[in-house]
Amino acid sequence: MTDFGAIDALLAGARQEVPLPSVEVRRGLREGLNLSRAQVAQALGVSPSTVGGWESGRDPGGEVREKYAYFLDGARTWLEAQAEQAAEEVSADDDDASASGDAELEESEAGAAEAEGEAEGESETLAVAQPCVLCGHPARHQVAGFPQHLDPGECGGETATVSEPPAKPAAAPVAPPVKVVPVGRRVQAVSDGPDPIAAAVAGALAEHAGDVDAATAALIKRAIPDAMALLDSTRKGGRYDVVAHPWIPDILRKQTARGADQIWEARPKWARRELPPGAHEVTALDINGAYLSALKTHLPIGQLEHSTGFGHDRRRAGVHLITPPVWDHEAELPNPVGNRDEPGPLWVTEPTLRLLLRLSGPKYGLCEPPEIHESFTSGATENLLEKFRIALKDARDRAIEQDDEVTLEYVKAMYSKFVSTMGESNYNRELYRPDWMHLIRSQAFANLWTKAYKAYGEGLTVVRAMGTDELHVIGDWRSVFPEGRGVSEVKIKDTYTVGEDTDPAATGEHENEHED
Amino acid sequence: MPEHIQEFGKYGARGIKGSAAVARRLDMLAGGIVTPITTRRGLLARLHYLTRTDHARSAAREAGLTVTDRTLKAWLEGRRSPSKRNLEKIERAYWTVRRQNVARYLVGRLNARGRGTRVELHPVNQSQVDRPRQRVVEFRTLNIRHWDQLVQAWSTGDTQAFDDAWTDQIVDLGSQWGQYEYVTNVGFAA
Repeated sequence: MTDFGAIDALLAGARQEVPLPSVEVRRGLREGLNLSRAQVAQALGVSPSTVGGWESGRDPGGEVREKYAYFLDGARTWLEAQAEQAAEEVSADDDDASASGDAELEESEAGAAEAEGEAEGESETLAVAQPCVLCGHPARHQVAGFPQHLDPGECGGETATVSEPPAKPAAAPVAPPVKVVPVGRRVQAVSDGPDPIAAAVAGALAEHAGDVDAATAALIKRAIPDAMALLDSTRKGGRYDVVAHPWIPDILRKQTARGADQIWEARPKWARRELPPGAHEVTALDINGAYLSALKTHLPIGQLEHSTGFGHDRRRAGVHLITPPVWDHEAELPNPVGNRDEPGPLWVTEPTLRLLLRLSGPKYGLCEPPEIHESFTSGATENLLEKFRIALKDARDRAIEQDDEVTLEYVKAMYSKFVSTMGESNYNRELYRPDWMHLIRSQAFANLWTKAYKAYGEGLTVVRAMGTDELHVIGDWRSVFPEGRGVSEVKIKDTYTVGEDTDPAATGEHENEHED
Repeated sequence: MPEHIQEFGKYGARGIKGSAAVARRLDMLAGGIVTPITTRRGLLARLHYLTRTDHARSAAREAGLTVTDRTLKAWLEGRRSPSKRNLEKIERAYWTVRRQNVARYLVGRLNARGRGTRVELHPVNQSQVDRPRQRVVEFRTLNIRHWDQLVQAWSTGDTQAFDDAWTDQIVDLGSQWGQYEYVTNVGFAA
């Protein structure tokens, strides 16, 4: 009974999390008060980037959440008061104005896009409803550039307005914000800019008179030069040049024409040795676009420089000669160093080393820290291929949305061939970075390991982790990984059953589950 | 020219002459037989390359392999083996002929129909230079459109002409081109 008492106490002590307004509203409120992130951050005792994070999707927790909610609440009250005051001024103005002015106002409210006429006082009527800075619901007026409801009755908290019927049903779905990029002196919507991928696909389809197979083949053939052109265009105005032909240390050179170099990429090739008795439904999951996601990794920018006997510098990346730690969890989790048979030190890449360092840290405590003997590193950045990755990911998402197989295949060929030929390949002579190739592959393997660990942590049984993107699990994986075709989702490759049921009761249960 | 470096490495900078780096890179791009000439396989491969056609034979003779056809036949059949000095001659003749044969294609690829090839210049290594004497020398790139002279000088093995041709190109870097006379590496691909 004492156990239940303790649980009851725990439940009683658990507080309901303070509800926060939606992400865009948070920013609108802060900007409505003309406060910078730093000012808010100082008042709340957090860093400005944290506040930025809250305004772009993350949620604070605990005590600081209450503080933040208090701030947002106060800001809303203040802005509402201001809006009311402005509305009163407007109505006073309207009384003075002629009847024709009123009629115009009515007309524009009905939907006519009149830009000038109605700009009376501080308040303006918007032709297209925009999210209110106070409550986030569509409003048709703006004060000093901030869209908001003039009537405080219309403008309520989230819970208040949900129950109310929207004023104009046509304006109910809020359009997502338009992404813009600076072009010359102006800004331009991203969708209006040149899209080389869509242009190439359209050109190929036109050339082959709509023959999908021929167009796909032609596009795959030109994927490597196109990827290089895309890389060049995404590096325009970038802070770092892409150094395409640096001096390469001997460990990164192939020993013979068909041989391999000395880098160990830590490719997982692991299968669980034994399973508990009984039949198990195993699902083979496929990680979508593993190499595409792996383009986001710490890449060395310039020429690799040698160093010995130093610890790990987080601002640099490269390859390291390490003695890997002993791995005691082989029974349930793959070794992050992969399936290595030979003992002794080996050259690993940055993502593998970072994974090992993380796992040896206090948060995981899964192994001892690796011993670093020597390194070839250079100053690193995670953003070198970021725009390139985003461009490809956007094209991929769009292709999935529109069910456009040609673009999908083209994008896939672009990123996969880009990674596989960026080393000493004769198919891509513009980029000789075997170090990047190894780092990106290792990042994909490290990402797969992290997914395996996540599955293990959520109570699934990991059966196999192999290649770049294949994970076999037992259990309700849908609660852990979303299913789909996006890069953050997984898809089913295969399902199969392992073992035989010996217990008839268990079989019955199993079947019942299936009937459900 | 006043920009020329007089005493390279006096204060500990490390690097190689830019033209030497370019020549090394061109050699790498040209490729060739990697098996050493001291092995039977390597020797035969070179001799076959130098004796396949009349044109090859005359090119080999011009490149310094002045032995009689009878001797060549004896080497190829394995009745005799070349002396140490003749091995060196064969090696030198092989690389000369190889470069001459490859040069035309290399120029075509490097000129790329007038688009040229982007060349990366990696500055000298100053890690051993005293702090006050270190200078900011950045990584630079240069698009070279006319490779004819460079490749011509490389294929004939004329070091001085090659160095001059290279200097003509890096002058385009601007007033600081002298900093790139010596480099750690020159990167480009054909």
